[in-house]
Amino acid sequence: MYEQKRFAELVLPHLDAGYNLARWLARNPHDAEDVVQDACLRALKYIGSLYDGDGKAWFLTIVRHAFYDWCGRNRPAEIVRDDGTAIEMAVDSAAIDPEQAALRNADSRLLADAVGALPLVFREVLILREIEELSYKEIARIVDIPIGTVMSRLARARGLLQHSPHLHAIRG
Amino acid sequence: MNCNEAGTLLAAYADGELDRLRAHAIEAHLRGCAGCEARHREVLALRARLRAEVPYFPATGALRARVDATLGAMRAATPRRARPVNDRWRWLGGGALAGCAATVFAWTLATAVIAWHADQDLAVEAVAMHVRATHDNRQVQVASSDQHTVKPWLSARLDYSPPVQDLASEGFALIGGRLDTLAKEPVATLVYRYRLHTIDVYVRPETAHAPTSERRTIRGFHVVQSNGSGMDWVAVSDVSADVLTAFVHRLAQQAPSQ
Repeated sequence: MYEQKRFAELVLPHLDAGYNLARWLARNPHDAEDVVQDACLRALKYIGSLYDGDGKAWFLTIVRHAFYDWCGRNRPAEIVRDDGTAIEMAVDSAAIDPEQAALRNADSRLLADAVGALPLVFREVLILREIEELSYKEIARIVDIPIGTVMSRLARARGLLQHSPHLHAIRG
Repeated sequence: MNCNEAGTLLAAYADGELDRLRAHAIEAHLRGCAGCEARHREVLALRARLRAEVPYFPATGALRARVDATLGAMRAATPRRARPVNDRWRWLGGGALAGCAATVFAWTLATAVIAWHADQDLAVEAVAMHVRATHDNRQVQVASSDQHTVKPWLSARLDYSPPVQDLASEGFALIGGRLDTLAKEPVATLVYRYRLHTIDVYVRPETAHAPTSERRTIRGFHVVQSNGSGMDWVAVSDVSADVLTAFVHRLAQQAPSQ
């Protein structure tokens, strides 16, 4: 009972963050769900080891481990075909002008494709930094690398995006 | 600072990871160096596009159902207690001497720093309330983006009238309000949406001992307190602390007097 209460209080609020990370790592919804489900089971089991109360970084660490374990079993070579269905789901329903909307979706899709095409090690730090807005320290803890490595991977990820063949006009 | 040094620090500066001294040095360099300034702007432009265009995938209903089912299965496997209070006693009783000692120690510590603890309590309570509301899916009792609907609804149920404003034009869309209990008093809760984050703002009449500005992180959630317009404002969210601080000060300082 006590574990479940702690899980509900400390982990469940970060389920969105966990799924978003898994979704960007696995690059498809079904696998991401399996990964997060596995992560939740592990989180429940080890909730006693969460001392400092930073549920988000703790849970994301577990999600990431669950993903790499899953990946090792299912896609040892990380051969994934990204069919772009992910991006379809993100169509901006608020757009009023259809032509504008089509243009914007085409652009968004290019950028999202470029992120999806990043090698795993660069993709994960980029998502954690730019989408989850975590600090270098938190990312270092989640990915289990030194802060210097966080910085170099982030720089590489940004460089790859800025020179991505998926899009030419990313420079502001 | 030369371009070489600036180059290695630019990204950390853009990520808000530099101490004040080095941030100052970078800013001075950027003012005088068009090349580095352009590279800095590139990082910011890329970030703006990523945040605007890269989809965020919140947990699907199917996933939540699966997680709930897992929890439910575990709950069913655990013998159910008749009343929650029994649980606590059982846990306390069974929880060995160490648990008791820790409780006593915590209690002593709490008594020693009672004033500080009162604030901490308020923040902890605010976070607990935010989490509960999010988890139980009862974020709003009056759902409206119209401040002239939310304000009268709250005023009719409280002995004060909280200032309510929609800041959708600044990215903070008012989605409604609800009543909560904070520090044993009924409190107005304004609920805002910022991108995919939910922000709860607890508004109550100004109390003498409340801090004028306070920022804290509890369980990964940020809690920012402020005073203004005759009210105490306590905002809770998982949005970044800087965004939350700016938002709550904006609400407290510029709330229209109505």
